[in-house]
Amino acid sequence: MGFANALPRDWTKRRTAKRERLEAVRPHVSGRVVNPARMRDTLQALLRPGDRVALEGDNQKQADFLAEALAGCDPDVVHDLHLLISSISLPEHLDVFERGVARRLDFAYAGPQSVRMAQLLADGKVEVGAIHTYVELYARMFVDLIPGVALLCAEQADRDGNLYTGASTEDTPTIAEAVAFSDGVTVVQVNEIVDRVPRVDIPGDWVDLVVESPRPFALEPLFTRDPRHIGQVEILMAMMTLRGIYERHEVTTLNHGIGFDTAAIELLLPTYGAELGLRGKICKHWTLNPHPTLIPAIESGWVESVHCFGGEPGMDRYVAARPDVFFTGRDGSLRSNRVLCQLAGQYAVDLFIGSSLQIDADANSSTVTEGRLSGFGGAPNMGHDPHGRRHPSPTWLGLLTGEAPIRRGRKLVVQVTQTFRTGGTPAFVETLDAVPVGQDAGMPIPPIMIYGDDVSHVVTEEGVAYLYKASGPAERRDAVAAIAGATPIGRRSDDRRVEVLRRDGLVALPEDLKVDVRRARRSLLAARSIEDLVAWSGGLYEPPARFRSW
Amino acid sequence: MTLTESWAAMLSRTSFIELDARERAGALLDDGTARELCGPFDRIESPWLEPQGVVPQSDDGVVVVKGRLGGQPAVVVGIEQAFQGGGIGEVPGVKIATALSLAAQDNREGTPTAAVLLLETGGVRLQEANLGLATVAEVCAAVLELRALQPVVGVVAGALGCFGGMTIAAGLCTKLIMTEEGRLGLNGPEVIESEAGVAEFDASDHALVWSIDGGRQRVRTGLADALVLDDVSALRSAVIDAVRGGVPDEHRSQRLRELRACLESVDPGRVVEASEVAGGWAKAVPRKGGAG
Repeated sequence: MGFANALPRDWTKRRTAKRERLEAVRPHVSGRVVNPARMRDTLQALLRPGDRVALEGDNQKQADFLAEALAGCDPDVVHDLHLLISSISLPEHLDVFERGVARRLDFAYAGPQSVRMAQLLADGKVEVGAIHTYVELYARMFVDLIPGVALLCAEQADRDGNLYTGASTEDTPTIAEAVAFSDGVTVVQVNEIVDRVPRVDIPGDWVDLVVESPRPFALEPLFTRDPRHIGQVEILMAMMTLRGIYERHEVTTLNHGIGFDTAAIELLLPTYGAELGLRGKICKHWTLNPHPTLIPAIESGWVESVHCFGGEPGMDRYVAARPDVFFTGRDGSLRSNRVLCQLAGQYAVDLFIGSSLQIDADANSSTVTEGRLSGFGGAPNMGHDPHGRRHPSPTWLGLLTGEAPIRRGRKLVVQVTQTFRTGGTPAFVETLDAVPVGQDAGMPIPPIMIYGDDVSHVVTEEGVAYLYKASGPAERRDAVAAIAGATPIGRRSDDRRVEVLRRDGLVALPEDLKVDVRRARRSLLAARSIEDLVAWSGGLYEPPARFRSW
Repeated sequence: MTLTESWAAMLSRTSFIELDARERAGALLDDGTARELCGPFDRIESPWLEPQGVVPQSDDGVVVVKGRLGGQPAVVVGIEQAFQGGGIGEVPGVKIATALSLAAQDNREGTPTAAVLLLETGGVRLQEANLGLATVAEVCAAVLELRALQPVVGVVAGALGCFGGMTIAAGLCTKLIMTEEGRLGLNGPEVIESEAGVAEFDASDHALVWSIDGGRQRVRTGLADALVLDDVSALRSAVIDAVRGGVPDEHRSQRLRELRACLESVDPGRVVEASEVAGGWAKAVPRKGGAG
């Protein structure tokens, strides 16, 4: 009986550790409430060298007070932490590494800090585990990257730790769940501690410590695009997308990436879309943040439902006044949830469309263009054909693939780009910048945003390429080249080849789609300024100061 | 009017800001009367831009259109904000000054002709610095020449605003019309920030910038005369009203005692909130005697 001789194992080490940690912070805490002036001391008492810590910082809201306290910790006391941060946006996120408080890092996006990030990598101050997509990083928090401590942020807390996240619920419940149910410690900064929260977004049972931050958490208006900056080319591409993709494939469920290209589509629905008689036929159910540019389509009765990843500054009153469209809580305000919205975006919508910055001959697409690594964010989560999908829809079945009788449908993954970016840089290239950048960063594979074999359509100002119709790689490349204009890739094409592709339906030019290029003018936009969006909302939309020009 | 109706009116308006300089000039004038002078096909363009790597434009960014305003002969001069930030170089300055001088000449020869300046400009074009400065002086002289005979109406609609040397011409106008989106200031926000630092003036803080340079504030503090909705017909009526108002006995730029009293009412040792200015200036009493 070998088992009898085995040493008795302690099965509750994590639970014991949690008890000890909470005991250690007791001098700084009353109940669950941490004295904000003692935040750094609390973290120093709570954390142990080598801890894996999830620091909430996504592309919108940031646990900035906790990040600052962490960056201020004494590296002799707290060191060699392993940080999980979805978006590295604040200088404090990297101060933590520079000061030696943390050493290892797993993240999804480092856009605003990517230059300094590269320097820290070169100096050996930070070891990167991997660069993830958003849901991927959260998924790993439940598998091989379970955090011991979570530093989170919310709008309000009561003294029992019940949290109100308001419109910006985003990732907080997911990280809290990973930590709370694995005997980790959850610390939450809130804008205010109240007697009673308007609604419970996260039960107090999951929350160990709360602290009232001296100032509200930082929130970026990432999804606001000023219609004044939408030009004729974006409008032309939006017209072609509506006719050549949305109308043709009867797209009713969809996700829009951020950018002026998709904002133009949103603003053409009440005008050009209505003219085409498409209201009620397309664009009914959305997984999308509350884009201000969607207001005219909502007000014109196009939109039946919107589920959001996060909130958007200025949109709270508008969303609260449209509960039939948006998911809202008993208190009336928006409830968002990034992971669930990503899941919905993968399995429940028929189309993803996003702007690309660089596309190669095989339609691989990347936003890495400045010789540095910014990471992925969430676009790859949306921008692929999920093979786990089984439910059919006319749109999905319209892109039937495989050999009979074993066939399946396909999600529409659309990439939009002008053939040249500002400054005359070609968007279509032989080799994506992502390839050398990935090599320099020592990545085993290049950081591709959307893989070419997932892309079903590419739209440029030249026309639409229906890549899903290609019989093989050579034909795909021909279709990409046909709409790539005067770029090096586009110059591989010629008129005769384009004629054949148009005849076979692999490429459509504006005239093939009955799109009158001369009508691509700003007068076709339902709103041409932020002021117009405010008017469409009946004054409910309150744009952040930086978007005001009055 | 209910709230809903006013928002509907806002959406049904034809935005003036949306239009380019040529369209703006045409939209203000009586239907069918607009006739462009010295247009793009005359190809009077800047000789200075191409050597400096800037693609020139055939009208060099200034559009001169003659026509009628509420029946009266008028010339509208529009600065195109989309070309070189509405910068005034040799050709633009001469076009504006000449148009104003010719209008003055028409007046002297018995045809009462008013002028409208559509001021969307960052000031003097840096590529033609000295020539630009010289022509701005000519523009100012021409405004002074014409305004004694017929109104010279300035319009700052947006989205660029009126900054730099041309604000002096704006200050000389008989009447100045603005929208809420329009801005007016001798030094642009970015210039102040880069010269004096972000602590002095944060150009990215739109609320701050508009609270000082914005149309609402400029009208409230008496540095502009009318605040009008960004709407073609509203602007056209405001311009026609201003022309019909005729030549005043004394122009704003001649009321030196009042303007000096306003300046003296401000304590430079203290930070003044933009919201206090209008109230403070209203109470400022000109000193007796002295010049102006």
